[in-house]
Amino acid sequence: MESVWISLQVGAAATLLSLPAAIVVAWFLERSRMPGRQVVQTLVWLPLVLPPVVTGYLLLKAFSPRGALGQVLDGLAMPVAFHWLGAVTAAAVVGFPLFVMMIVLAMKAVDPRLEIISCSLGRSPWQTFWRVTLPLCWPGILVGAAISFARGLGEFGATIVLAGRIPGETETIPLRIYAELDAPGGEHRITGLVMVSIALCVLAVIAARALDVWYRRRLELER
Amino acid sequence: MKLEVNANVRRPNGFRLEVELSCETPVLGLVGPSGCGKSTLLDAIAGIEPGAHVVLDDHDLSRVPLHRRGVGYVTQDALLFPHLTVRRNLAYSPTAGPIEAVARALGIAHLLDRMPRHLSGGERRRTALARAIVSRPKILLLDEPFGGLDETRRREALALVGDVNRAFRIPMVIVSHVTEEVIGLADHTVRLELGRMSAAGPSITLLSASETRVDNYLVGRVVGPGRVAVDGVELRAAMPAEAHGSVRLACYAHDVLLAKHPPVEVSARNVISSRITAVIPTGHAMLVEIERPRLRAIVTSEAAAAMDVQVGREIVAIIKATAITFLGSASC
Repeated sequence: MESVWISLQVGAAATLLSLPAAIVVAWFLERSRMPGRQVVQTLVWLPLVLPPVVTGYLLLKAFSPRGALGQVLDGLAMPVAFHWLGAVTAAAVVGFPLFVMMIVLAMKAVDPRLEIISCSLGRSPWQTFWRVTLPLCWPGILVGAAISFARGLGEFGATIVLAGRIPGETETIPLRIYAELDAPGGEHRITGLVMVSIALCVLAVIAARALDVWYRRRLELER
Repeated sequence: MKLEVNANVRRPNGFRLEVELSCETPVLGLVGPSGCGKSTLLDAIAGIEPGAHVVLDDHDLSRVPLHRRGVGYVTQDALLFPHLTVRRNLAYSPTAGPIEAVARALGIAHLLDRMPRHLSGGERRRTALARAIVSRPKILLLDEPFGGLDETRRREALALVGDVNRAFRIPMVIVSHVTEEVIGLADHTVRLELGRMSAAGPSITLLSASETRVDNYLVGRVVGPGRVAVDGVELRAAMPAEAHGSVRLACYAHDVLLAKHPPVEVSARNVISSRITAVIPTGHAMLVEIERPRLRAIVTSEAAAAMDVQVGREIVAIIKATAITFLGSASC
């Protein structure tokens, strides 16, 4: 059960870590008129289309003690490569495109004229974002968080390259299943893990969908 | 309100708005067919559409962002914040004044703790208007405030905007694709066609012969069943039995007949002796204004000539009681 607990921690931390960035990037892609949106869009989509092992390799280059980011984080006593934080980073990066996509969809559903009305009433664009756009986006943010969390639970390729398989630290459910399948008779030992894995993902998506429906009905965003 | 606008807007679809207008009026009407650029011009005044030169009461707003312009922008579909109660919608602006008085004036005081989804269409519009008024704007911009309403609701909305104008004295720009809707409210009207100004001037002069559905709005006090005193003149009107106190009424200018002498044995219940205060040619018709109660009648130029209609002349106005519609209690 240790790997289940690690998976839950990694998935939750990855979701929380990427939440602010996902909101900012989604706003930049959907609402800002600044240049560079196409470039950012492409970068955001990359982890979704790249082989996870390649994503892991690129992250390892960046976060290894000799990498640019790795040196800084090591200096701050926050090592990433082959540490728990590495599993979190891999899960966050791989789940990020889905997270951003869901928030972008939620922002698209918010009538931009509400933001115009807010500004006409004297609220700055920043205040408008906090008071109108964000509260009306919560359903999409919740769904995005749930999908990002579920994706984090299932992350394998990037995690094993960046964080390795360290029992008790970076060995998440998929890594444990992989290790068991590699050992004689391990197939019989993974049934429980597979069931837990499926149950967690299904629960996350159902909970997010239920919250989404409840919130939309409450605001009558959807008839 | 003294307003100067120089807007030159190009849209990717090829539409171009080129308008240069200058006027001094408490209420400005912007009329014209759909797609002529009325709403774009309104957006330019608000600052939503960038690049327009706008001067309001000698203050250059051209570089002032929307949130610092002090404009109350109200659209046809209200656009209330769905996650806030009516009270919090009204108090949304950082410059919001006391909300209760405005809510009472617009008849939504009992709705303050409701969520927007529990309001009817009319209540939403009144809330949106109240929200804009509470924010203490320098100017109210109303985009098609009467669009999509049936006849009764349209008249109610027209009367409400008139009430707001009288009670709060906020300068207004009203956009409508129906000229006659704004005639009763706007003193000055600009007509747009294909992104350009095709006419501008006192509202009444912009009426064409086919546009004679001018509303007369009356506010009076019920003095008995079906009887209401307006400007000291008692009128008979089609009113519900429970109507009491101060009420709002309306009748079309084309439902007001004029006669040189009081008719004998006529079915119409309202025969009013008055005096002509204005005669305004509108294409093939004449708009004749009488003083007590202040009413306007539309007559053909031929009829006006035959009756020798002139300012200062004594005249008799005849209106059927059923032509005077009850709009509701006067709230402002």
